[in-house]
Amino acid sequence: MRAAVALATLVEGRELWQTVLASLVSGVGVTVFYSLALYGVTRFADLSRGDRTLAAAAAATLAALAAAACLASVAFGIVVLTRK
Amino acid sequence: MSSDLILVIVVATALAFDFTNGFHDTANVVATSISTGAAAPRVAIAYAAVLNFVGAFLSIQVAATIANDVIDPEAISSLNIVYAGLIGAISWNLITWYFGLPSSSSHALIGGMIGSAVAAAGTGAVITDGLVGKVLVPGVVAPVLAFLVAGIAIGLAYRVVRRLRPGPVTRGFQFGQIISGGMLSLAHGTNDAQKTMGVITLALIANGNLGPGADPPFWVIASAAAAIALGTYSGGWRIIRTTGTRIIKMDAAQGFSAQGAGAAVILSSTHFGFPLSTTHVINGGVMGAGAAKRLSAVRWGVAGNIALAWALTLPAAAAIGAATYGLTRIFGTGALGPVLVSLLAISLIAAVFSRRAQRGAPVPAT
Repeated sequence: MRAAVALATLVEGRELWQTVLASLVSGVGVTVFYSLALYGVTRFADLSRGDRTLAAAAAATLAALAAAACLASVAFGIVVLTRK
Repeated sequence: MSSDLILVIVVATALAFDFTNGFHDTANVVATSISTGAAAPRVAIAYAAVLNFVGAFLSIQVAATIANDVIDPEAISSLNIVYAGLIGAISWNLITWYFGLPSSSSHALIGGMIGSAVAAAGTGAVITDGLVGKVLVPGVVAPVLAFLVAGIAIGLAYRVVRRLRPGPVTRGFQFGQIISGGMLSLAHGTNDAQKTMGVITLALIANGNLGPGADPPFWVIASAAAAIALGTYSGGWRIIRTTGTRIIKMDAAQGFSAQGAGAAVILSSTHFGFPLSTTHVINGGVMGAGAAKRLSAVRWGVAGNIALAWALTLPAAAAIGAATYGLTRIFGTGALGPVLVSLLAISLIAAVFSRRAQRGAPVPAT
């Protein structure tokens, strides 16, 4: 127990937790946003061929929003990194 | 005059280490893109080299950690200590490269520096808080984190795209790997090049050219960026084969999530100045992406060999660093020891490369 407390004192606890959180949010977030963009693009291509205009528009909107979120996440990460 | 000559040798050796770091590590960065067919080997390597160069200019937090938080700058009484640490790191990098094991260049560097510093000034030369808090614990947490992030990410990605036709999905993720692979190269450049910047800065502080706690000068940043980029471009085909195909057979979605997880963990850690092993993180991501799909897809035996190389790296590099310091001390604290050791090292490296050349071409990426 004493060893664990000593280790916790040595470790940059707050910074380590922030690293864990930032990695989880950005790593998982970017992959999910990209997958949604891919889903939107593929569905848009399929639905456009079937004359389902409204559904195709919804898929295109999803693709655009997800791609924008993906790119924004990457850009935000780089900006934060260069500012410290 | 003698100390300036040693400083020149130390800077040249540090840049040589940076070159071997790129040569050794960046194979890991591009392996995922190559093995999934997202990029041709030469294109992937050139792309990684350029982004390694750019990445080196993004941050100096890791350089500050290496220069001030692991080895006490006050304990560096002679530049021969820094030199011996670098030789320990380079030697271990080349040994593991020769046997095709993706061990950690970062841990080799830190191990080499610790070994030579302890040999010269005793255990008091090591800043325990910095070593444990900024190197060892993040070093253990980061690959596990990359494993988890890649595993969760690929699980969610498969859920999103599972009802789509496989052709467009594969092509879509292969395209995405251009971005995720680029981010990983950028992350690798920013974390790894900074370690060399940190060592050169430490040498400049020890030699009195910079004050304690100083940031790396621009010429140090630019030269470290150039060295790692050149090393990257020079390749590392044997290690590409281990990471890209022998740990796990990947599809493009797995490659994307593994690279994304690696980039996220390395960039987040770099922001807080944690000098990670990019090799550990990338392999953690690759295994996480594989294990999430099917545990048996990961070749755990190969992963075990890599883990063994990781475990050996710090003590082995430390031992070589300490032995090198002992060797240079035979010739005093002047430049003679480093000059002779450098000549010996160059001869050994030339002999190893000529033996490799006689045996045939390096193992191609498959």
